[in-house]
Amino acid sequence: MISSDVIRGYNDTIILYLLLDGESYGYEISKNIKELSDGKYIMKETTLYSAFSRLESNGYIESFYGEESFGKRRTYYRITPNGLAYYKEKCEEWELTKDVINRFIKEWNV
Amino acid sequence: METIRNYLDNMFAGLPKTARVMDLKNNILSNMEEKYNELKSQGKSENEAIGIVISEFGNIEELVNELGIRKDGETASLPVVTREEVENYMTVKKTMGIQVGIGVFLCILGPALLILINHLLEKGIIANDLSSDTTGIPGVIILLVLVALAVGIFIYSGMNFERYQYMENGVQLPGSLEADLKSRYDAYYSTFNLKIIFSICLLVLSPITIFIANMMGEEYDVYGIVVLLLIVAIAVFMLIASGTVKESYDRLLKIGDYTTKHMEVHKKEDKVIGAVAAVVWPLAALVFLFCGFVYGLWYIAWIVFPITGILFGMFSAAYSIMASKEK
Repeated sequence: MISSDVIRGYNDTIILYLLLDGESYGYEISKNIKELSDGKYIMKETTLYSAFSRLESNGYIESFYGEESFGKRRTYYRITPNGLAYYKEKCEEWELTKDVINRFIKEWNV
Repeated sequence: METIRNYLDNMFAGLPKTARVMDLKNNILSNMEEKYNELKSQGKSENEAIGIVISEFGNIEELVNELGIRKDGETASLPVVTREEVENYMTVKKTMGIQVGIGVFLCILGPALLILINHLLEKGIIANDLSSDTTGIPGVIILLVLVALAVGIFIYSGMNFERYQYMENGVQLPGSLEADLKSRYDAYYSTFNLKIIFSICLLVLSPITIFIANMMGEEYDVYGIVVLLLIVAIAVFMLIASGTVKESYDRLLKIGDYTTKHMEVHKKEDKVIGAVAAVVWPLAALVFLFCGFVYGLWYIAWIVFPITGILFGMFSAAYSIMASKEK
């Protein structure tokens, strides 16, 4: 399990990635994060929903109500063009970060 | 499932109930419920599923920071209470209402019995071998015993209530509990109104007993007063008992006299009115006992109490109006 401190700066990137292929909703996204990371990262509800709120107020995603079984309306999210641009930026930033940090990581052959 | 809902209710209890926050809460709830259902269908036990869902909730502060919700000073410092605490508080408060009601009932019953017994002794209807010097004594003894009993009850119920004193200063209720209490309050309100109307009518009509007694003949005057006091005692008991229950709802739901805004004004008011009461009522009792013992005016000295009551009521009301104007 990854500590949430380390990954904090990239929660938004993870969520945006999962919206690249189309709209989705809270539980589906959190389930996908868990599956794609082989259960190594589980995003907490509060982290997920603060990210939604932040992304939405920055105009990177937009939300809308979709009909759902059990008669409950469910909030869906979709990525905006701004969000896509931001995502690309974050990908570049990560490449750079990864490159820099890797220079300070020692391979330990035990 | 109920556990999850309660957990979330408690987590959100401290946040303002704006549309945005409620929306967020509902989203998180359906998220958690979906997760729970899936875990159950994977063969997890009820407890395991709930444990996992709750452990993956996270930290409410994260949401608070993100949403920029300012937990406004007052509400933030109010303690969040559980359903059990609230139920206990309401039970204790109700008992206290009845006990205080009985205490006050005894305090009014005292003078009534005093007058009755003095009259019976003076007329020699009972124990006519008592010398005329001592006829006043048995009534006073009964009066003092009843008052002592009442004071005992006041202290006892006050001590019982002490544990729940903190609930009086305003608390935060979990959402589902608040809705629950509101519907119970609505159901209670009509009964409360009926009781209040009934007791006020009793109070207003009570002087009729004096007229009736007077019509029956002058020697019945005393009985008229005694019955009047008994009716007043019953009415006051009902006012106090039902008023206390209503007060507990008002305080918990922060309505009526107990809205957050009101409370601040009231705290100052309560102090002043309380200080005046601490002087005025013992003074009234002093006048009552003095008139009785020194001048033997037992049959009329009780009038000191209703007069004090009315004057004190006027003072409190006037003071409240002045205080709220200043604000």
